Amino acid sequence: MPQTKELAKGGLPQGLPMKAELTEVPFFPQREYQCGPAALATVLAAAGVKVTAEDLVGQVYIPERKGSLQVEMLAAARRHGMVSYALAPRFEDMLREIAAGTPVVVLQNLGVFSAGWHYAVAVGYDYQFGTLVMRSGTLERDVLPFAAHEVVWMRSGYWAMVAVPPDRIPATAEEKSWLSAIAAFERVGDARGARTAYQTFLGRWPENINAHIGLANTHHSLGELAEAVAVLRDATRRDPESVVALNNLAQTLSDLGRNEEALPVIDKASAVGGPFASAVQKTRETILQRIGNRRVQ
Amino acid sequence: MKSVWAKTLCRLLVVLMVWSPMQFATAGMIGTDQVASVASQADRSTVLQFLGRAEVANQMQSMGVDASTVKDRIAAMTDQEVQQLAGKIQSMPAGADSTGVVILLIVVAAVVWWVWFRR
Repeated sequence: MPQTKELAKGGLPQGLPMKAELTEVPFFPQREYQCGPAALATVLAAAGVKVTAEDLVGQVYIPERKGSLQVEMLAAARRHGMVSYALAPRFEDMLREIAAGTPVVVLQNLGVFSAGWHYAVAVGYDYQFGTLVMRSGTLERDVLPFAAHEVVWMRSGYWAMVAVPPDRIPATAEEKSWLSAIAAFERVGDARGARTAYQTFLGRWPENINAHIGLANTHHSLGELAEAVAVLRDATRRDPESVVALNNLAQTLSDLGRNEEALPVIDKASAVGGPFASAVQKTRETILQRIGNRRVQ
Repeated sequence: MKSVWAKTLCRLLVVLMVWSPMQFATAGMIGTDQVASVASQADRSTVLQFLGRAEVANQMQSMGVDASTVKDRIAAMTDQEVQQLAGKIQSMPAGADSTGVVILLIVVAAVVWWVWFRR
């Protein structure tokens, strides 16, 4: 088992405690075939969401498949105000998340002659003995060797996910993937949560222009136009060529009735061009129209 | 006969429901998810995305998912996630197994054997 071997040879990865176990993570014993709802309820409840496995059946279970898809596990967590994140396919990352206090949903394939996909939740490990502790199926504390887990886990491409509140960043989050996770969360419509998530993100990666754009969009949709302008001004200072930041700044200024200020900003966006040219053109027309309307009045 | 018609009508309604009220950034603002998707995939047609969502909705319903829940389930997905599902719901891994523990024991036994005797 390649990753187990690496862990054994390379020693305990830096910064990890010898062992950790999240004993307070609740347990939802699965009913027939319903390990998806059970595993998801486990990590959501651990993050403070009031939810049971039963509540999630209608959100992730597909009767004819008698199971739950990975995509839906990620998507359903967002509906409960949590940002879901698929981990990089590394054993070490799973251990890091556990050590940081976050239980990890993993997808295993237990089948021998046919596929036997199964979600379990990793809640602890002991490096010295090379064992993992899992909430799995009907077992509240399933202890299994690293190698045994890797055998069944590698068959899903080491698929693992966490779900954390918007004011947290997973221990192993990578800048770009974490930003996509927040953008996906924003889509579901919890603008307040998304605002918090972008702010937390910018606390860690203050240079990221797309996160500025995301934060400004959540401000805009919450009606906080002045805050949106401030964030976008900051973004255009950092990257004067960002068409999206320029377009959204111009639009927000215009929404505030400051069309004369908006016009030079949108002209700058038009000059840069790029894949958003048609959106920029539309914004420009809106601004000109608003200026025209006022002059006519 | 009546139920066939009812079923067809329901499906049609779900498709239309999924189709129409898509959530976009406020008028004039370029959405964050658009920024992200353009980076990887230039200018994908919106019509294709709608078809993707309708198609996935239809498939999920035909696989026994309650019509009243399909729309919300799909709304929580990103465009990329919808693309992943379209046409593949039948073949993708679906975590389910509850009889796996027995098989897992066999696997564990095999691994223990491998670790102890083959090294």
